[in-house]
Amino acid sequence: MSSTTTIADTNFSTAPAPHSVAEVLVCLPSISTAAMPSAFQAIAAAFPDEFVLVASSDIHADAAEFPSLELVLYTSAIADIGWVLATGDYAAAAHIAVERNARAVILLGDDNALIDPSLLRDLADSIRSKNVDLALPRFSTGPSDALVNSALLYPLSRALFGADIRFPLAINAALSTRMAQRLITTTQRPIALNQASSLLWPVSEAAIAGLSVREVPSQIPPPTPPPQEDFNALFTTIAGSLFADIDAKATFWQRARNLPLRPSQPGPSLSSPPEASEEIHAMVESFHLAQGNLQEIWSLVLPPQTRLALKKLAQLSPNDFIMEPGLWARIVYDFTLAFHLRTLNRSHLLGAMTPIYLAWVASHLRTVADDPTRAARSIEDTAQAFETEKSYIVSRWRWPDRFNP
Amino acid sequence: MGQQISSALRQSLHRIVLVLASFLPGILAFLAALIVFVLIGWALAALIRRMLIAVRFDERLASRETAGSPAVLADWSPSNSPTLLASRFTFWVCVLAGIALGISAFDASYSGDSRYSTFLFPYVAHFTGAILILLAGGIVARFLARTVLIGAVNAQLQYARFLSHGIKWLVLVFTGAMALDHLNIGGGVVELAFGILFGGIVLTLSLAIGLGSRDLVSRSIEKSMEKPVPLRPTEVDPLTDTETPPRPKLRHF
Repeated sequence: MSSTTTIADTNFSTAPAPHSVAEVLVCLPSISTAAMPSAFQAIAAAFPDEFVLVASSDIHADAAEFPSLELVLYTSAIADIGWVLATGDYAAAAHIAVERNARAVILLGDDNALIDPSLLRDLADSIRSKNVDLALPRFSTGPSDALVNSALLYPLSRALFGADIRFPLAINAALSTRMAQRLITTTQRPIALNQASSLLWPVSEAAIAGLSVREVPSQIPPPTPPPQEDFNALFTTIAGSLFADIDAKATFWQRARNLPLRPSQPGPSLSSPPEASEEIHAMVESFHLAQGNLQEIWSLVLPPQTRLALKKLAQLSPNDFIMEPGLWARIVYDFTLAFHLRTLNRSHLLGAMTPIYLAWVASHLRTVADDPTRAARSIEDTAQAFETEKSYIVSRWRWPDRFNP
Repeated sequence: MGQQISSALRQSLHRIVLVLASFLPGILAFLAALIVFVLIGWALAALIRRMLIAVRFDERLASRETAGSPAVLADWSPSNSPTLLASRFTFWVCVLAGIALGISAFDASYSGDSRYSTFLFPYVAHFTGAILILLAGGIVARFLARTVLIGAVNAQLQYARFLSHGIKWLVLVFTGAMALDHLNIGGGVVELAFGILFGGIVLTLSLAIGLGSRDLVSRSIEKSMEKPVPLRPTEVDPLTDTETPPRPKLRHF
């Protein structure tokens, strides 16, 4: 539970105004001490004409230089995987927001991100003036960026929860009072079970509660995990958390309607596909290795026609390596179902999915050929394939044995 | 001569009938005890299953597990249901208790000497223990084999399957030796054979890993010497001496 202490209690008073004046609360759950001065500067620059509550887990003397900021001490959580917001972060921020009557709560989860004042202002404005309950930044990405988002998180969130949010795994987020109250209720159980550091998917929570979600464009690239983090462990944790969330909310997405399908626009054609790069070769090689060794495990999860499609895919050379979006969507849905049914140990399941994800990355890179327009088209195709194949997961979820020989 | 043969046969038949007359009540007592305990076990298992389903035991247990937890109770349960595991466990405990009580009843009702039961009773217990050891060993071997296989494939080791089989047989051989030792079969021969086999598998795996991982070891040494080395697709470029770290070509997150 969060403990709030104003800096007035700790001889660091910089707040000349009463508490009720501050409409915006900015929470800095995991920001490092070194990054604090620039964070204060960015917050003060973003809201030059108003008082802002800043919640931090430590006392910082630098706050005294900014009279418009009122520092609030609170206890947040350290996420299982570091650079994203955890359940405990949302709970602590929501409690302070309700206690202090803040209209907009901004959470900045990443330790190393450049804090953009215009992004902070846009996030707060979305909540205050556009009647939005959850605002998330849409980071600027290149063709080879945020690949797990493009392959898995975005298409699944869009297809199952009807939320067209490019980065559903929130690193920075803004919440309304309604969303904060909803999160207080939602986070009670995981915190009681001592799971404050687990991940929370705010987009699906907002979708279930019927709250509005919007993206705020940002010019900065998405923050990345610390370089020492192991990709396999991160992938397992994030995909596992998303699958668990989908499992828990099955009754909602099985009857929810899809977003209206966008008219398909033909992407720019690739007249002469370039030679596959060394990275694509390595990923295709990794897929070949898995195809030769993981058949026993894949056969527990994937139906025969999907395994046959993977077998045909494995016969392609890196220069012709293209995985159809529909095939990838069905594979992800099959793994989601296996996660729900506990067909095999969940760590094994997600580990066995990693090489197929790498195959999708190889195919994606091959398709986009370093062209941002083509990359956007490819991501849109993938997301639409997930929407088209939604009936597949709904059928399999209801009658899982019908698809197995 | 004929009379003597006929008398000997009559006496033998008489002894057989006597033994059968004293043996059959023992068998009946054994069967009665077993049937009663099977029925009790079945009733108890059904009761426990109904109670656990009523309190949503599986859902409650699943909600307490985090997504990334490596091995949870449900993964070891039949049909991934801890409720089913609990009810089956209760049933089989009752069956085993019925067998034990049946042997005691057999011993009590059988008027002959109790050599059979004094030999059978501990041996049945040992036999049950050996079966449990084999079952547990099989489950652990399969779990470890899959863990190693998936880990090795994701680490892009070409000999992933070989490594997985090696681990699997290592555990199975170990389990087999433990089961035989538990049954007091083989004695020193089993211990010696196990030592040779286990040592052989470990040596083979060591050689295979050592020879197969030369490039992995050299990569590790080169990394520690801060030499540039080619990266795997899931690796992020390490920091160099420059002030800002170079942007990796692929960013998965």
